[in-house]
Amino acid sequence: MNGWHVPDDLRAAYLDGGLPEAAAMSVEVHVASCQGCQAAFPVQEEWLEESWAAIADVVDRPAPRPLTRGLTALGMPEHVAVFLAATPGLTRSWLLGVAGALGFAVAAAHAADRSMLVFLAVAPVLPLLGIAAAYGARVDALYEVASAAPISGGRVLLLRAMAVLVAALLVTGAATPALPAFTAAWLLPSLALTGAALALGPLLAPHRASALLAAGWLAAVPAGREAVFGAPAQAAYAMALIPFVYLGARRWNRL
Amino acid sequence: MTPDSDAALLAAVAEGRLEALRVLHHRHAPWLRARLARRCGDPDLVQSALQDTFVAVWQDAGRYRPSEGAAGAWLWTIAIRKLVSALRGRPAPVAAEAAVTESAEDLVLRAVEHGDLGTALNRLSPELRAAIRATVLDGLTVKEAARLLGVPEGTVKTRVMRAKAQLRELLT
Ligand SMILES: [Zn+2]
Repeated sequence: MNGWHVPDDLRAAYLDGGLPEAAAMSVEVHVASCQGCQAAFPVQEEWLEESWAAIADVVDRPAPRPLTRGLTALGMPEHVAVFLAATPGLTRSWLLGVAGALGFAVAAAHAADRSMLVFLAVAPVLPLLGIAAAYGARVDALYEVASAAPISGGRVLLLRAMAVLVAALLVTGAATPALPAFTAAWLLPSLALTGAALALGPLLAPHRASALLAAGWLAAVPAGREAVFGAPAQAAYAMALIPFVYLGARRWNRL
Repeated sequence: MTPDSDAALLAAVAEGRLEALRVLHHRHAPWLRARLARRCGDPDLVQSALQDTFVAVWQDAGRYRPSEGAAGAWLWTIAIRKLVSALRGRPAPVAAEAAVTESAEDLVLRAVEHGDLGTALNRLSPELRAAIRATVLDGLTVKEAARLLGVPEGTVKTRVMRAKAQLRELLT
């Protein structure tokens, strides 16, 4: 630019912060487009290499997992998406397991009409198992992630439970049309059991609460189709959901 | 366009060549750091804004248009917005409309080198100068300037207005 370059003393004063504003602006505008003056800025080699290493580390990272990309595409903030994608109950092996269990239940229902009960018994337990998987053995690692994520620990638990629930509901929902007789009777018990697990979670630890409820549910199913899946029972599940939703919302807002 | 020009390097970065980003980083990080440091006293925030800048360059190098101005000026528009984001405490995408404010900068430069505006600028109070710097020189929106300076948007607007009035007065 017109043969003028930032003199050494001017640059030194600029770096000191002691340069008057107008002169500093002048320096900045010139430096932005003058390669010679850019190169004249002092370089701390060690800082430069460290700073580059940090950037290369981020940039060279493997591409985000498909689930993370999908969630971000749906408008979810990236840190939440990365976090949810790491939920044990959402891994491919877990979802394959869920699909396998459902396939078995559907096949059983086809083999004998009475075995429809197998499907109805299994379906509500699946999200519970997901929650147990998410908070069981890996609970410590989870808290580590939780403390690094800009989401509070309690919200992390609820967020993960919701994600597991939604995934399990989607898979189970997809299996429902394959049944000999269309039925969505599993849906309300499934929601009620998950809600109960979350409500009891803080008292018992989520994985224990889930195991307890799953056991209770499986013990109750032999009472018969009408008793467990009939209209009065369904109404009771729906009623039970109300306090759970209320509790969940309150807990969420307090976090 | 020589192979080691900023424009050529940015084109290479757009093709996914990491080595080109490294050359750009080594060339521009020192002055960008100094310029960011003048706007933010927290070295950690400056460091993280600088890192975010080059990560953004890696992703968005294809958006650079040599016809719109020097690569250094383009890098600065990213860096200053990354600093604003760092101050806000969460990442924000580089605004697609983050236009290079070359013309405004040129205007200031010419006036500054002319002498009169320089004297006038130096007579402004530090608050008014910071407001002018953020909005005119750094090309930030009022909202972004408010984040950077840590004052409400209304205050930025008033300060810019006052600064302009004062400059007009001092220059005539
Ligand atoms: Zn120069």
